[in-house]
Amino acid sequence: MKTASKHILIAGAAVAALMAGTAGTLMAQQKPVIATVVKISGIPWFDRMNTGVVAYQKANPDVVATQSGPATADAAQQLQIIQDLVAKGVNALAVVPMDPAVIEGTLKRAMDRGIVVVTHEADNQKNTQADVEAFDNADYGAALNARLSECMGNKGKWTTFVGSLGSRTHLQWVGAGEANAKKHPDMQLVDPNNESFDDANATYEKAKEILRKHPDIKGFQTSAGNDVLGVGRALDEAGLSGKVCLVGTGLPNPSADLLESGAITAIGFWDPQKAGMAMNAVAKLLLEKKPVTDGMDLGVEGYNKVTVKKGAGEGMLIVGNGMVLADKASYKKHMF
Amino acid sequence: MHKTSEQLIMLVVINVALLAVGAAISGGTFLSLFNFQSMASQVPEIGLLAIGVMLAMCAGNGGIDLSGIALANLSGVLSAVIVSSFLSATDSETGFSLAFMAMTVGIGFAGGVINGLLISKLNITPILCTLGTQMAFMGLAVVVSGGKAVTVGSPDLLSRIGNDMFLGVPIGFLIFAVVAALIAAVLKFTPYGLWLMLMGTNPKAAVYAGFPRTGILVATYAISGTLSGLAGMIIAARNVNVKYDYGSSYLLIAILVVVMAGVKPEGGYGRVICVVLSAIALQLMSSLLNFGGLSNFVRDFAWGLLLLTFLAVGRYDVAGFLMPFKGQNKSSGPGPQAPKPTN
Repeated sequence: MKTASKHILIAGAAVAALMAGTAGTLMAQQKPVIATVVKISGIPWFDRMNTGVVAYQKANPDVVATQSGPATADAAQQLQIIQDLVAKGVNALAVVPMDPAVIEGTLKRAMDRGIVVVTHEADNQKNTQADVEAFDNADYGAALNARLSECMGNKGKWTTFVGSLGSRTHLQWVGAGEANAKKHPDMQLVDPNNESFDDANATYEKAKEILRKHPDIKGFQTSAGNDVLGVGRALDEAGLSGKVCLVGTGLPNPSADLLESGAITAIGFWDPQKAGMAMNAVAKLLLEKKPVTDGMDLGVEGYNKVTVKKGAGEGMLIVGNGMVLADKASYKKHMF
Repeated sequence: MHKTSEQLIMLVVINVALLAVGAAISGGTFLSLFNFQSMASQVPEIGLLAIGVMLAMCAGNGGIDLSGIALANLSGVLSAVIVSSFLSATDSETGFSLAFMAMTVGIGFAGGVINGLLISKLNITPILCTLGTQMAFMGLAVVVSGGKAVTVGSPDLLSRIGNDMFLGVPIGFLIFAVVAALIAAVLKFTPYGLWLMLMGTNPKAAVYAGFPRTGILVATYAISGTLSGLAGMIIAARNVNVKYDYGSSYLLIAILVVVMAGVKPEGGYGRVICVVLSAIALQLMSSLLNFGGLSNFVRDFAWGLLLLTFLAVGRYDVAGFLMPFKGQNKSSGPGPQAPKPTN
């Protein structure tokens, strides 16, 4: 049995070493804890959101705000984190669901335990007290199109890209765009709703096809995050930078080169930093049992006058005005 | 049998150590009843899949079941679509629940039989065969559900399995414990268990000794598939909705659990109790890190480190057996052995 005890010693030491790091990270917490859980950690979008959570913590020392998320893009992993946080006894959860349907059961159990639940990017989430959206999808689509038609001089052929025909928000955006374009009778929509599958390369090929089919096309409105990169590259290579307009959803950092070259007219996005702060702000209001009312100021840029509607379930849907349209002149303010 | 009990002792020690560390850093909440219940309700999904992988590994000849989580999702998705087409989850709650439960387990069983037949009859290498069926199961689930989450709803009986407790223990965990005990008993007391282990130790000798090879393989993968079906049912019961890509990370975690439990990857040896303890240890560790508010990347690192520790200690154990004052030689035949350090 001498060897056995030796092995146990080794194993014990290994575990102790493993856990030594975790000790001391926790302090006695009397302040209410707001735990933000994101879809996946370690990607730029949610790193940016983390800066918002950190900033919120600095501004509100009377609460503890933290952010965590799974290391892999798997709804099951996010579910486990939420469940562990519920067991740990956090006071509020601010969740950006990987898949709203999968976590309905767990969020319901959390609310049954008296935990405040706030969500983001999930206007179809039923078990939440408040879902915070950066903007109204129709407004966003119309704003993108307004920028596009302005660039096109309100006339000419234009087309649209969506991530996939199953993507609800993308279809809302292009739908609102089409409605906006109807105001300008000289704008002619051709071959709409091309599917990009958020793949810059596939979008590039598709855009080249469209340029061949419609050599006189004047504008593109795109939806998925990588679409502007694909279409922008096609325009750039065809020497059409600045001659054909391109407005779509995109992030400033990856789009910087194409914005500089003029291939991308403007990009639209919302800032996850502000969204993170807004979620935490709503969670704190709900913790303090204060009402969230229509037209309220959450104290976060872009959420100064929110619209409050009834959500998909019992909770409310809080819509901000957090959309940002950035072009060559202004994108540098939002580098992420 | 010296080594077996040692693996068991080590797993117990690790579990206790994790609990102690958890208590220390959380100031006691880690040991609260609610957290135990919460963790216990998380274990069954991965635990059931891991037992399936263990059985496949024990069968030897590179046995493994990669199709577990895909089959679990398929059974959930397909059952939800089929059962709700003729029964309503709100109108006939018990009927819906029973039909759904029978269907998930049945689909799991059928999927497992397909794996077993492909492997035994067509002699396809298990890793390739189950990789293929994994994609086929997942693809079928995508087609059936259109790639969207399918709502199962929470009819009375089913939602109890997912949410309720029996004597303070989550029902899902009870199901897992009973199934694990059942399989442990089958392995220990039936000819099937003996055949499985002996065949895993030396497949060639097993064939010459007249073991029903096809029967053993089909039974093994069928059990593994049935466990996947059960996992699918528990997932549906807990989450209300099922989706084809749920738990995509479970595949590797299940294998990790099995290796940590000391199951021999080359076949012929594995204990259910060790798999259960190993699954619990992983659960404790991941919950612990979530309690500590550490990044989930640390968790992957910690799991990897734990696995390496186990492998290292296992190897050290082999060296221990070669020591002169313990002359006991465990090799069961002239078959290929892992290289042993000479000292």
